[in-house]
Amino acid sequence: MHDQNMLDIKNIYKNFGSLQVLKGVSTTVDKGEVVSIIGASGSGKSTLLRCMNLLEEPTFGEVWIEGKLMTPVDPYLHFDVIRASKTYKKLIAQGMDDMAAITKIKAEDLLLEKHSQEGPEYKALMDKIFKENHIDTNLGRRKMSMVFQQFNLFNNLTVLDNIMLAPVETAKYNKVKDLNAEKEKIREQAMTFLKRIGLEDKADVYPSKLSGGQKQRIAIVRSLAMNPDVMLFDEPTSALDPEMIGEVLDLMKELAETGMTMVVVTHEMGFAREVSNRVLFVDEGYIKEEGTPEEVFDHPKDPRLQDFLSKIL
Amino acid sequence: MTMGKIFHDMWDIFMTYYIGQGLLWTGLGYTLALSAIAVIAGAILGSLMAIGKMSRFKVLNVIITAFVEIMRGTPALLQLYIAYFIVPMIFTFAEMTPFACVAVGLSLNSAAYVTEIIRSGIGAVDKGQTEAARALGLTSKTTMLKVVMPQAIRNILPALGNEFVTIIKETSLASTFFVGELMTTYAIIKGITFNVIPTLMDIGVVYFVLTFTLSKLLGMVERRMKASA
Repeated sequence: MHDQNMLDIKNIYKNFGSLQVLKGVSTTVDKGEVVSIIGASGSGKSTLLRCMNLLEEPTFGEVWIEGKLMTPVDPYLHFDVIRASKTYKKLIAQGMDDMAAITKIKAEDLLLEKHSQEGPEYKALMDKIFKENHIDTNLGRRKMSMVFQQFNLFNNLTVLDNIMLAPVETAKYNKVKDLNAEKEKIREQAMTFLKRIGLEDKADVYPSKLSGGQKQRIAIVRSLAMNPDVMLFDEPTSALDPEMIGEVLDLMKELAETGMTMVVVTHEMGFAREVSNRVLFVDEGYIKEEGTPEEVFDHPKDPRLQDFLSKIL
Repeated sequence: MTMGKIFHDMWDIFMTYYIGQGLLWTGLGYTLALSAIAVIAGAILGSLMAIGKMSRFKVLNVIITAFVEIMRGTPALLQLYIAYFIVPMIFTFAEMTPFACVAVGLSLNSAAYVTEIIRSGIGAVDKGQTEAARALGLTSKTTMLKVVMPQAIRNILPALGNEFVTIIKETSLASTFFVGELMTTYAIIKGITFNVIPTLMDIGVVYFVLTFTLSKLLGMVERRMKASA
């Protein structure tokens, strides 16, 4: 039922203690789409991105990658689950109609309080949905690699080993028969990537010897080496010196042109306008506005977005 | 008593008792043996406790934290006294010499410090490293083995070296139980010569040469490790 969408996030809530950062965010990312997420600092845009690959576990809501569920089942997103609960049956017995009961249960968060007391039918249905759709977090993450603001290259490994580590470990995990031949293949692929970004001479260098721009381009290539279906970028140019931003954005543009599905949290409005198919404006824990770059940048409707754009453009 | 006389006596006592009667070698032997046992046992126990502390088992975490805090918050000499009396009660199946009791006490003391050294060494590795590894789909175990530990070792080894030096000095407390290490030789020689100050200074020189050489060696290893990355 989710086959069409690459990445599907449904009604994501994220609380840090008593602080509500995301308050019900839903969106789908299609194959080949480039989605930019913009918003002021503290608006929750990075948290949203980190919820997509479960670096932050959503408090409620579901994340689907290629039709596979990465999070636990959120009962509020499945009407049949709600209908299977004892709470629902009690409300119906009291004379409430179907939609009213469901609305009440959702609004007052009646299920999660006493998860274990909703009866065997409820539990069986939750288990069934989970079993049929669930994908292991690590497997899901291999489909969508992430690029960080602070690059996060592994300091203890050379550039080449940085790129090779995850593919090699995945090969081991998949119990590839001829591991040495596979390693050789991975090494060749890694070198091809390095040539593509003109850094093949840095293969045996440690990250501490590289400039910020070089680090970030290698981090992008490291993600690419996993052959991901989606790439997540968390403010990839915010920690760079101005003269190095261009080289990183150019590589990202190149990626977008090859049809890579990308979700980019960014302050680079030029990039968001030029490269993305869709722009999400996140504010106060909601997606306040969403549309094509023209719609969002040229005809913003939300007053907060107008305010935001007037400050940065 | 002039300084000249003290130096003269130091030399005399050193040559007669430490070299001539071989007290240097037995004392040094016991000191190094105690330190080695305490450091190795401490490192193994400490590593296990650090792993236990990072595990998801809350009870284990509480027990280890309590142990570490108690060991760090009470005097080592007191711990050795307790070990001296309690160890023979627990290990009734074997004859526990004072040396063995002190070794157990020092090992447990060292383990508490090593636990903290390892925990903080791992904690000092940038969180982004773990996040990047997990985001690439590596398991927590692989992340630990391939990314975090190799970086943590750089923080841990120098601190472990310092712990070794500290332990060497701490073994002097074992003289309370007359186990025969360097500090015990003081009581022996004092009993014969009644010449206190030169004897103490001799022992001081031996300790200093031992720890100074060791820290210089460790410093060299550290520099070499830094250069390789």
